[in-house]
Amino acid sequence: MTKQDDDTIRGGLKRRSFLQFGAIAPFGATALLAARAQAQTPTVPAAAADMPLVLRVNGQSHSFVADVRTTLLDALRDKIGLTGSKKGCDHGQCGACTVHVDGRRVLGCLTLAISVQGKEVTTIEGLAAQDGTLHPMQTAFIEHDAFQCGYCTSGQIMSAVALVQEGHAESDDDIREYMSGNLCRCAAYPNIVAAVSQAKTQMQRT
Amino acid sequence: MRPFSYQQSTDPSQAVQAGMAGDAASAGTTAYLAGGTSLLDLMKLDVLRPQNLIDINPLHATHGEITVSATGLRLGALARMADIADNADVLRDYPVVAQSLQLAASAQLRNMASIGGNLLQRTRCSYYRDTSYAACNKRIPGSGCAAMDGVNRIHAVLGVTDKCIASYPGDFAQAMIALDGQVELLGPNGKRSIPFAQLHLQAAVSPEVETTLRPGELIIALTIPAGPHTARSGYIKVRDRQSYAFAIASAAVALDIGADGIVRDARIGLGGIHYAPYRATAAEAVLRGRALDDASATEAATAALQGAVTHGHNDYKPELARRTLIRALIHVRDMPVAGAN
Amino acid sequence: MSTTTDPNPPIIQGGIGAAVKRIDGPLKVTGGAKYASDMAVTNPAYAYFHTSAIALGTIIDIDEGDARALPGVIDIMTWHSVKGQLNPIKTFSEGGTGGTKILMMQGPEIRHDGEIIAVILAETYEAARDASHRLTVRYEERDPVATFGDEGLVAEDATLKNAMFKNVQVGDADAALSMAFAKVDQRYSTPPHHHNPIELFTTTAFWQNGELTIYEPSQYMVGTQHGVAEMLGIDPARVRVISHYVGGAFGSKASVTDRTAIVALAAKRLNRPVKLVATRDQGFTIATYRAETQHRVKLGASEDGKITALIHEADEVSSQPDSYKVGGTDMTTRMYAIPNITSKVTIQHADRNTPGFMRAPAEVPYMFALESAVDELAYALNMDPVELRRINDAQVEPVGGLPYSSRSLNECYATAAAAFGWSGRNPEPMSTVDGDWQVGWGCATACYPANIAACFARVTLTATDAMVEVAGHEIGTGAYTIYAQTAADRLGMPVDRVSVLMGDSRLPPAPVAGGSNNAASISNAVAVGCAMVRDQVAAAAVADPESPLSGRDPAKLTLADGTLRDTDGTFEPLADALARLGGAVEVLGGNEPDSVKLGSLAGLRSAKLAFGGGFADPKKVKASFGAEFVEVRVHRLTREVRVSRMVGAFAAGTIMNPITARSQLMGGMIWGVSSALHEATEIDPRYARYTNDNLAEYLIPVNADIPNVDVLFVAETDRDVNPLGIKGVGELGGVGTDAAVCNAIYHATGIRIRDLPVRIEKLLTGAV
Repeated sequence: MTKQDDDTIRGGLKRRSFLQFGAIAPFGATALLAARAQAQTPTVPAAAADMPLVLRVNGQSHSFVADVRTTLLDALRDKIGLTGSKKGCDHGQCGACTVHVDGRRVLGCLTLAISVQGKEVTTIEGLAAQDGTLHPMQTAFIEHDAFQCGYCTSGQIMSAVALVQEGHAESDDDIREYMSGNLCRCAAYPNIVAAVSQAKTQMQRT
Repeated sequence: MRPFSYQQSTDPSQAVQAGMAGDAASAGTTAYLAGGTSLLDLMKLDVLRPQNLIDINPLHATHGEITVSATGLRLGALARMADIADNADVLRDYPVVAQSLQLAASAQLRNMASIGGNLLQRTRCSYYRDTSYAACNKRIPGSGCAAMDGVNRIHAVLGVTDKCIASYPGDFAQAMIALDGQVELLGPNGKRSIPFAQLHLQAAVSPEVETTLRPGELIIALTIPAGPHTARSGYIKVRDRQSYAFAIASAAVALDIGADGIVRDARIGLGGIHYAPYRATAAEAVLRGRALDDASATEAATAALQGAVTHGHNDYKPELARRTLIRALIHVRDMPVAGAN
Repeated sequence: MSTTTDPNPPIIQGGIGAAVKRIDGPLKVTGGAKYASDMAVTNPAYAYFHTSAIALGTIIDIDEGDARALPGVIDIMTWHSVKGQLNPIKTFSEGGTGGTKILMMQGPEIRHDGEIIAVILAETYEAARDASHRLTVRYEERDPVATFGDEGLVAEDATLKNAMFKNVQVGDADAALSMAFAKVDQRYSTPPHHHNPIELFTTTAFWQNGELTIYEPSQYMVGTQHGVAEMLGIDPARVRVISHYVGGAFGSKASVTDRTAIVALAAKRLNRPVKLVATRDQGFTIATYRAETQHRVKLGASEDGKITALIHEADEVSSQPDSYKVGGTDMTTRMYAIPNITSKVTIQHADRNTPGFMRAPAEVPYMFALESAVDELAYALNMDPVELRRINDAQVEPVGGLPYSSRSLNECYATAAAAFGWSGRNPEPMSTVDGDWQVGWGCATACYPANIAACFARVTLTATDAMVEVAGHEIGTGAYTIYAQTAADRLGMPVDRVSVLMGDSRLPPAPVAGGSNNAASISNAVAVGCAMVRDQVAAAAVADPESPLSGRDPAKLTLADGTLRDTDGTFEPLADALARLGGAVEVLGGNEPDSVKLGSLAGLRSAKLAFGGGFADPKKVKASFGAEFVEVRVHRLTREVRVSRMVGAFAAGTIMNPITARSQLMGGMIWGVSSALHEATEIDPRYARYTNDNLAEYLIPVNADIPNVDVLFVAETDRDVNPLGIKGVGELGGVGTDAAVCNAIYHATGIRIRDLPVRIEKLLTGAV
């Protein structure tokens, strides 16, 4: 876990000047918070805070300056230039932005870039071997025609690789269920199941 | 999404302190960030506008435990939905907990979302989520309710008022309420523990206030007491597609059935139909001391939906919820349970 | 030069019909395929749209609040800054490239939900989005007309402003119906659908030396180029559109939208690149959609099952200014050999954005109605629905008396029925139960017109490689692959030696990727180019006394396996044959099919689109066909419907590549499941606004919804449709599927669903 730079953090707090209520929202913010946020739109707008960030992506460090609100997805695409991860909804409803953070599949669009500093991020660009040899899942997707337009494919493959590692690829029904967080509008689903099933065997062998 | 200050916290007390400090500085608009799957979603929509985020994900190291013991199930608030759903002890002893989580959202979201945050997810009401609609008492107290005469197919039929008919969208909460879950909280004045049934306000009286959480309070852990009913339990979720969809009706059921076939105890939570997590105590009462068969299941289900109020598109919900509960009761009655009679 | 004779016929690797894996596959599985929003630009400003919260009224004012003062915000454009800078353009039905007469940001008037009313330009996406949320717009709001059932809908005979469209009147359908032994008279309806490609609607624009470059996913490179130029009032030669990969389109990226021109204006205003990635909800209102339809279908049949009468009346919703219609009676009236037919289509104008093409635009809703009614007729006759369709098969269409160029529907039924096991069916509804699930089987006919348009393609041949260049579109169909196969086939070269360049408006123009025409249009143009290459190489060889092929009949020479060869096996190495032409041959091929109006090839250069084939062909009706069988399971209590098996058999002329064609047809069938069980855009009729404008509430199937899908090909050779015999498969698979699903649900439950989508509440009738 990264130790957050205290000055950076406090920089935001110091700018706040308004003092009224003391309602803090636990976790995803409560209704109290929502109500007050609506009612109490600050007269002094909070400033957008550009901050220096460092992300570990596919084994490399990337330093850049970004707005604190930047999602991992937007940081990958617009700051680091890794455009393989796609934006399909920006609200956790399609799975096109699926990447691995410390080996777990997560959604880049609902992850703040700042929150994954110090963690290992893996994207579709980091899946093949250094010499360009494709990952068995990538090969299987080609062999089974498991995509059409290809837009959701990065997310599908990242999800599929994690699915096998999670041990959720034991049956075709399992694959269907655990791949259901990745929408494919072209509807290559049966081919995706076939691809995952094939790659599973190869991944388990190696 | 409005700008915010951001800090991570590795210690719950520090998180609460930081939260209070942030609140003091920004008119009470500090939020704890865990999985972010609800919070960032709603911030992007400008529905939520916290000025300070306290990122509590580092607490996972100390508050991410999943422990099954003789006294019950204990879940650190930062435990991820996926890890609980896959936990072998939970799967064996608390199947309704595992199933309610496994059937929720997607694998990616379950990997991200904390169990504490899961309980606090927000309604899917379109008029709440879209700030371009003027009338939403939940967003803007006193502004009205656009859903009442609008598109309300997914909306609640119980716990509703003339102020709000939003439905609570969660799954796991129905297992929590059915199994008498407790919520451990840490606030500026120390710890307290409350029944989960008291976490959410049960009727849409002040829709802008959804919980009884006090300023600054942080969910630390959840506990579910052990009991003879937890192993024979299950979750049936009815939705418009097979996966990755919210429940339009669901039932969390746990049963203790004697060797004579008589129900000694029944625990029932119903989802998709109520303003808040909902314990169907009337249905439980119908079943206690009786054999569980089609007749008693039907009677219980009817009791559970007493007083339902519908608004047009959701006219079907009482009947669907009734059938969902009947299906769940029979399913759980007939499920194989290791070591059970 | 060496003279050799090789008696073995050459084998071409990866020619037409070969099962070639997508040549763009490696790029797509590594994140290397660059979609429009992946294209890097230097120092872009980010655009974020603010869209209207009302459907009908006037903007009184826009209070910018603190938006403009936010750090990073550069500018906010409203109608005041855009007015007069956009020209209206003609829509497709008027011979243009636009989708609607509604031009946004030209004044304070709001004509539908979600119109673009402000554009925030900022240094970051985050600042632009934040600023958009801080705008407060005051409106003078009027009561909008939303959809069917609302007072104030304005009806218009669909033939009035659509000159090519005709209602059908053959025989006396009313009289035949009154005398029929068995009758069906039912109403069917379908909801609005939005394409929802997973790729969002994005536009990046920048100006350089007075030239505009646009990165935007497009199904019509040349159309976007010319449409934007027309909107901006500039020379089309100064506009370049680049779109190498399109992240799903389904019709939504075919017509030019004013968003593109607005972003171009913003880029000019800031004198720097501007990048827009519209949000998912904005995509529901700034582009087109499939509008809701209502149908009344009457069928009559004699005792032997011969259908004697069809009356198909339909209503479709459109916007106020546009008379957009899909008019699927063109197909339903020609589907079976029925002697008495009447059809009528009415447009109902509402305060909505203008609908547009969406995968099988007409065929999906209209065939749902017809194929449901046919199933109902089968039950009324106590006849097998496959047999009913078989005995009413039409080899000559009944409206104009034209023959089908080929029609293998009965073969499709025979093939699919056998694979499905249809002969084991118990026709009785509710006759099959598996545990808690009621099981049902259903079938329906798929059909789609075989369209073609004029098209150019540049073909270059060297001794070792070939290249195809065309302003075509890779929207997921496998376009790169099949054009490479065409060239490989015709140039006698392994497919991996052929490269294909597409997705740039500066390449030789191709027609819109719509109406399933591109495979036919572009492949035939590539074939023409290849033939021109061969002609040049052959002519030079036979004229050269030094060539081993000297003096031979050039028409008999073929390119194969790195040689130019005669039928007797005498050949010249390609390197030698090309050496006399400077080592390479480059040609611009153009194909103007004889079914397309004369001059269409030239017109294509200025985006004047003309289709031929299909139901518009003066000599023959040209269409592909299919038969689809579905098994559903419906839970006895909670009524979830799950499709557990699907089989489709299709006859579509030449199948260019069985891998990609299978994927297209499978995807289409799954779209049919989606339109049956999942998709519907919900409208709040009070506001005429879409309420489920996101992918959590606008449901499309997930992986778990879809079983294995069997796609079978019925061999069919049809040289009437075009020289390569291609009919197209992009839209065929999804036609009729929703009817097959509903027919299966009826068989499972005894409940007939005539209003899509099937929802649980529609099946909750009856005691538990």
